[in-house]
Amino acid sequence: MTETALTSAATVAGGTGEAMIVLEDVSKWFADFQALKDVDLTVGKQEVVVVCGPSGSGKSTLIRCINRLEKHDKGRILVDGIELSDDIRNIGEIRREVGMVFQSFNLFPHLTVLENITLAPRQVRHKAKAEANTKAMEVLERVQIPEQATKYPGQLSGGQQQRVAIARALAMEPKIMLFDEPTSALDPEMIKEVLDVMEELAESGMTMIVVTHEMGFARHVADRMVFMADAEIVEAGTPDHFFQNPEEERTKQFLEQIL
Amino acid sequence: MTFTGPRPKEPYQIPPGEEVEGPPVTARDPRAWAKENLFSSVLNTILTVVFGFVLAFLTYRFLRFVFVDAEWEIIQRNITNLMVFHFPREELWRVWAALFVLAASAGFGVGAAGTRRAVEIEEGRGVAPGRGMLLRRVAPLVLLVGVLLVAAGSLTATLLVLGVAATAIAFRLLGRRVPARYFRFVALGVLVGIVASYLVITAFGGVPRDDWGGLLLTAFLAVGGIVISFPIGVGLALGRRSSFPVIRLVCTLYIELIRGVPLITILFMSAFALGFFLPPGTERPSLVTRALVALVAFTAAYVAEVVRGGLQSVPRGQIEAAQALGLSPLKTTRLIVLPQALRAVIPALVGQFISLFKDTSLVFIVGLTELLAVAQSITKQPDFLAQGLFVETLLFVAFVYWAGSYWMSRESQRLEQRLGVGTR
Repeated sequence: MTETALTSAATVAGGTGEAMIVLEDVSKWFADFQALKDVDLTVGKQEVVVVCGPSGSGKSTLIRCINRLEKHDKGRILVDGIELSDDIRNIGEIRREVGMVFQSFNLFPHLTVLENITLAPRQVRHKAKAEANTKAMEVLERVQIPEQATKYPGQLSGGQQQRVAIARALAMEPKIMLFDEPTSALDPEMIKEVLDVMEELAESGMTMIVVTHEMGFARHVADRMVFMADAEIVEAGTPDHFFQNPEEERTKQFLEQIL
Repeated sequence: MTFTGPRPKEPYQIPPGEEVEGPPVTARDPRAWAKENLFSSVLNTILTVVFGFVLAFLTYRFLRFVFVDAEWEIIQRNITNLMVFHFPREELWRVWAALFVLAASAGFGVGAAGTRRAVEIEEGRGVAPGRGMLLRRVAPLVLLVGVLLVAAGSLTATLLVLGVAATAIAFRLLGRRVPARYFRFVALGVLVGIVASYLVITAFGGVPRDDWGGLLLTAFLAVGGIVISFPIGVGLALGRRSSFPVIRLVCTLYIELIRGVPLITILFMSAFALGFFLPPGTERPSLVTRALVALVAFTAAYVAEVVRGGLQSVPRGQIEAAQALGLSPLKTTRLIVLPQALRAVIPALVGQFISLFKDTSLVFIVGLTELLAVAQSITKQPDFLAQGLFVETLLFVAFVYWAGSYWMSRESQRLEQRLGVGTR
């Protein structure tokens, strides 16, 4: 693999140029299966990185390592200058700064939308109820469903649920947002409303890593594309380069299959 | 600053002159219903006739026994024995006082719960109660109390029961005035009421629980068993899934050991073999305490397995979402996992408590005179000896157990409906 600006994932392509997330030589095994192989990736402040690749290539594992939903076995991960170690305080600190949105929403079904959103600000950041409620209504306005505040997640459509999940993460005022295939479980007509919210978020200067197969969104919003296959980063670069002149054979094959 | 959530808008009104097509209305004429469901084919008609006869015959024999053949004098003369047995009669006022305290706290709790639900319905969540829900809820208990009063045939008792009922209603109205946000204090108050009703009987020169008997002892063992075994069972279930191997091992061992032994064995062991396990010189706890410990130890193991099933039903994603938000493991369990797990196992859990309620009758084999033991012993009184009155006493005891169990089962269904099991 030639080390050009296009193929090196460890270069910040957009944002302010300061490093927000640094992964060095990160490896991860599930029993004998290697899910990540010596991954190097640096994400700049306010940068939007879209990760794509065939299923089983390690995309989800990569972002789940960043907030310690999975523990990496080798290498270093730094988030906003804090190194992820076994120290519980470090993990807690990083999780407060990193919001995550899941493929299957994972809203708490026994709590109302408002309670879903205010739970972490009140329990983790120890905010007063009134303050947390005000903030919750603010983020619900931002994802454009303030009228659903007193409903339960089961009473909402998939697109609305995912927007509540985004609002729930935003209420913690994170510096980084991770998206793990946020539109894969949605009906086609609901995908756009979620992507619109994510685009607005990207424009507001949020640092984001997005695992997605929505190539239109990627081309439009990403500062940098990262293509993964077989637990490795195969190729990385700006969307223009990535979609028009991919260098690696596997990237070309993948793009032919999905475009 | 106080937050007010959006309120539901005006209900949609159908514009005048416009008809909305609903599902076709099928008339429910009883005769048509019977024809459709009971006599739709030759086979169905035969089944209906045969089982109709069997049912009618059994009902007739049962009613004839209860209202014509049975000699209920044994129950009437022994009603106080059946309720409290050798509880000192001059201290009976304490039991009545305890009933007043219980009625007050239960009424208060129900009233406050009603207010909270009204707020939830106004906010567009929460299920509206059906018509006459409260009456249907207490119907089995009303039936039980009615039968007991008929058996007692005492004006004083009737007036006192009416007083208890009036207290419950008065406190329900009082509870209605409690704002929904104070509900957690009301719940605490109800618990305090239960403890207070126990203290009314035992404290200040009262009657220690070792002198209790009859239905009073049965109720004490059942309520005490449920209240104590539930938190222990939840703790054991969590312990069995703990990440600390030692805790996991201890909890698993306890659960599997207890579940492998019959309740009777545990009762005998706690009654006769407990001394071997206590440090020498310690005073042995009383027989009632030992029986309660055995019931709690037994039930806790089963509750633990039921709750563990609930814990496993909570998807992994729920825990991950809580972790990703920065919630500590303790808060994740308390706020996210347990509420969902317990809600999923309400039917099984209540089933376990109904079992416990009926299993309290087993304590008579270690020498305690709870309801069943009293029913057995009164047939040996000189006036009733050798008259074959077992059927009457057993039927009476069965009815009391049935009323209590059915009431618990109904409450469980109501709780499921209220928490929306299966709908969200």
